[in-house]
Amino acid sequence: MIKNYDAIVIGAGNGGLVASARLAKEGKKTLLIERHNLPGGFATSFVRGRFEFEASLHELCGVGPITGKSPLQKIFEEVGAADKIEWVSLDEAYRLITLEDNDKCDYSMPLGKENFINKLEEYDPGSSTVVRKIFDLIESVEKTLDFVEEIEDFKPSMIKEIFSEHTEFLKVANYSVDEVLNKFGVSKTTRDILNGYWCYLGQPTDELNVIHYFTMLHAYIIDGAVIPKGRSHQISTALLEAFTENGGEAWFNTSVSKITVKNGTVTGVVLDDGTQVNAKAVICNASPYNAFTKLMDEKDIPEKFKKEVNARTLSSKGFAVFLGLNRSADELGLNNHTYFIYPNNNNRKCYELSRKLETNDVQATVCLNRAFDDCSPEGTSILYMTSIFAGDEWSKVSAEDYHKTKTAFAEKMIDNFEKATGIAIRDYIEEIEIAAPMTYARYTDAPAGTIYGYEASKEDGIVKRIVFDLIGKGMPGLYFAGGYAVRHMGYSPSYTTGNLAAKAAILAMEKEAK
Amino acid sequence: MSKKKFSVNGNFKDSINTVKFLTERIKFVNSAEPVLPTRTDDFGVNKVAKSLHPKEQKLIISRIEEHADIAKSYYFKSESAPLAYFKAGQYLTFRLEIGNSVVTRSYSIASSPASALNGEYRITVKRISDGFVSDYILDNWKVGDKVTAYAPEGNMTYCRLRDAEAIVAIAGGSGITPFLSLARAIDEGNEDCSLTLLYGCRNSDEILFKTELDSLAEKNEKINVIYVLSHSDEEGYEKGFVGADIIKKYAPEGRYSIFVCGPGGLYKFLETELPKLGLERKYIRFEVFSSGKKADDEPKEYSITVINRGDEKVIKANSNETVLCAFERAGIEVPARCHTGECGFCRSKLVSGKVYIPEGEDKRRIADMQFNFIHPCCCYPESDLVVRIN
Repeated sequence: MIKNYDAIVIGAGNGGLVASARLAKEGKKTLLIERHNLPGGFATSFVRGRFEFEASLHELCGVGPITGKSPLQKIFEEVGAADKIEWVSLDEAYRLITLEDNDKCDYSMPLGKENFINKLEEYDPGSSTVVRKIFDLIESVEKTLDFVEEIEDFKPSMIKEIFSEHTEFLKVANYSVDEVLNKFGVSKTTRDILNGYWCYLGQPTDELNVIHYFTMLHAYIIDGAVIPKGRSHQISTALLEAFTENGGEAWFNTSVSKITVKNGTVTGVVLDDGTQVNAKAVICNASPYNAFTKLMDEKDIPEKFKKEVNARTLSSKGFAVFLGLNRSADELGLNNHTYFIYPNNNNRKCYELSRKLETNDVQATVCLNRAFDDCSPEGTSILYMTSIFAGDEWSKVSAEDYHKTKTAFAEKMIDNFEKATGIAIRDYIEEIEIAAPMTYARYTDAPAGTIYGYEASKEDGIVKRIVFDLIGKGMPGLYFAGGYAVRHMGYSPSYTTGNLAAKAAILAMEKEAK
Repeated sequence: MSKKKFSVNGNFKDSINTVKFLTERIKFVNSAEPVLPTRTDDFGVNKVAKSLHPKEQKLIISRIEEHADIAKSYYFKSESAPLAYFKAGQYLTFRLEIGNSVVTRSYSIASSPASALNGEYRITVKRISDGFVSDYILDNWKVGDKVTAYAPEGNMTYCRLRDAEAIVAIAGGSGITPFLSLARAIDEGNEDCSLTLLYGCRNSDEILFKTELDSLAEKNEKINVIYVLSHSDEEGYEKGFVGADIIKKYAPEGRYSIFVCGPGGLYKFLETELPKLGLERKYIRFEVFSSGKKADDEPKEYSITVINRGDEKVIKANSNETVLCAFERAGIEVPARCHTGECGFCRSKLVSGKVYIPEGEDKRRIADMQFNFIHPCCCYPESDLVVRIN
């Protein structure tokens, strides 16, 4: 059987969903293929007893109502999904607590630029002058990124504009967060607080590209963060609904067995039942590991693609504990939405410690009731804790030891939370689910259970990815979206890459038609 | 007044650093080998994930054990790959083709997790009235037959972070199987709870696995088994139903968690009995099961338009049977597992029409309710329907 479409999207993860919704909205006949029975990939939820747990989203940054319409909100509106999602905005950034006695801290930071600067001034009197300068730089680099984002068809003349209008961006483009903050001469307190979000990118700030980190600070603190009331599953399903309303077709429980290539151009896919589907564009939300080793013939893959995958390193592996508690957040004293609990404020050390089960004490924990209290039945609360592992320690855990190992690590996370906050939760656990790297591997095919795509290392920082994507030559007909595409893994970047991939595919189709 | 522009190491050094930015990246990519990367399935974590959750398992019936004429135990070995490891209390879903129907049914695993590592699963199938699939299995499955099962699933498992260390298990009929698995897991050192098993049967002839249970209780002080007979007064057995009084009599001192698995009648009875114990909700866990719909006196016939990968097919449905049942009868395969609304594998889009979901069985996600997705295994048609399964 042969079918014909304008575009095929492989995988209904965040990148694939936005790409599909965009293509259908622009009138392209699009087929979305998902091997699982649900849309969303990581962006999903699950029910245990009387609780519905969010599977991965802590906060969605870059949608916030604080600065009005953000690029992300614009995407949701343009593809027809925005009015299907009920957002709750957050006013809290995070509470940062460290465990070690010789580097103890406990800071609670709000969202909003002014609130953030003022609170920091309280913790570190005299800091506001320099912090304001840092925010100026954050806003300046963001302007450049917005400019780059708007580029649909790159022309060499644009380089001139970048060199004349975006000098600050160019100056800092190859520095790490630490290099730039040191230049500003910030105090330890200010640095510790500004670096609080490091675990969301899984990369220590001595290596993490400053523009990458600043764009995240911008998205959270200036743009603001939100939570969808129906969990991230609501965003995923809303995007899917918008897609089908605009004439898109989505096939679930369906796998692609091959991406077909003719004369160096991608021509379509073959499905698990042998159906040949032809298309002008294939947007791949599967990781390059899957695409190159399972879906494509080696001879069809450009040498550059193979080199790129092999040069890069897989980022942190995920671990999460989901708790349904039989007391309200008020009763327990869970007063914060986001808790960052680290061994100490040296994130390089924390990162290195996170290689081993015994020494990893990093966690980012969310009490969903602080976003909206009716997320769980009256008198109960939801708490979910996430940790990240550098390296590949979990590959040593056998199937036989799996349950014991993950239970023991979950217990340590609960103990650490109790120790850091002084809040007892252990006796109130009515429901518990534990996700290890194997869980992410199971549901998303993530290599080694990675949750952040490629490491944002010095050589592979997000700015380098973007620049080389602009000037590099891809494979005609093939576009990547999602966590392994041209940004970093995470909700906002994946939605963005889905949108970019669809736009690139549409542009190529229009050029072809001319 | 012009604002002084920011620089890190002076304009000149910053410019050099930016140029380096381009060369570094090119060097970085070019240093790598132009070979295929590691296959996703070959990462250690992915291998373990796959062994724990294989897409399906091809099994061979290696032995059949008869339990008088009330039930049979089936032992399986694997046709090729090692059997998936599991937690005591989980179930296996089998896929069967019976006539023109394609059906799935779940059975708790009666053997221990350790025995899976040794290449064996065991389930027990009891003869019930109106058991379309159980009758088929009991009458047809024989040693050497090849059957297809999916990976172990289910949430009625012990977790020391949540449950009390002492488990009081209440079993009715063939609901004993997950607890036999748990007892063995305790005895083999794979679970660190204690188990007080209150096993309700009509009479002593109906007790399954008595010898096995007695010997486990005999040799392991963490396991205690009490048989409770409802319809006969026999020496050495408790008489009556497993209710609050019997639980109080045998429950260990201190905190305990109650796990329940059995037929609908037992659940109904416990609904009024368990509250008498004054336990917090977290200490009571039921293996979910479908209570079914209260049958209509005059069942109505409806049609369901099933959309699958863009193709449409119209099938018949009956208001007294679930939407999933209509699929099964028509030979339409959906990835159903639990049949109780819990697992969500059969999730489908209700494009149009009305369904009835029995109270307490709607375990859908919030957004699924918003966008009209249903779990066909616990939905009954109340009009003609259009359902998109894929």
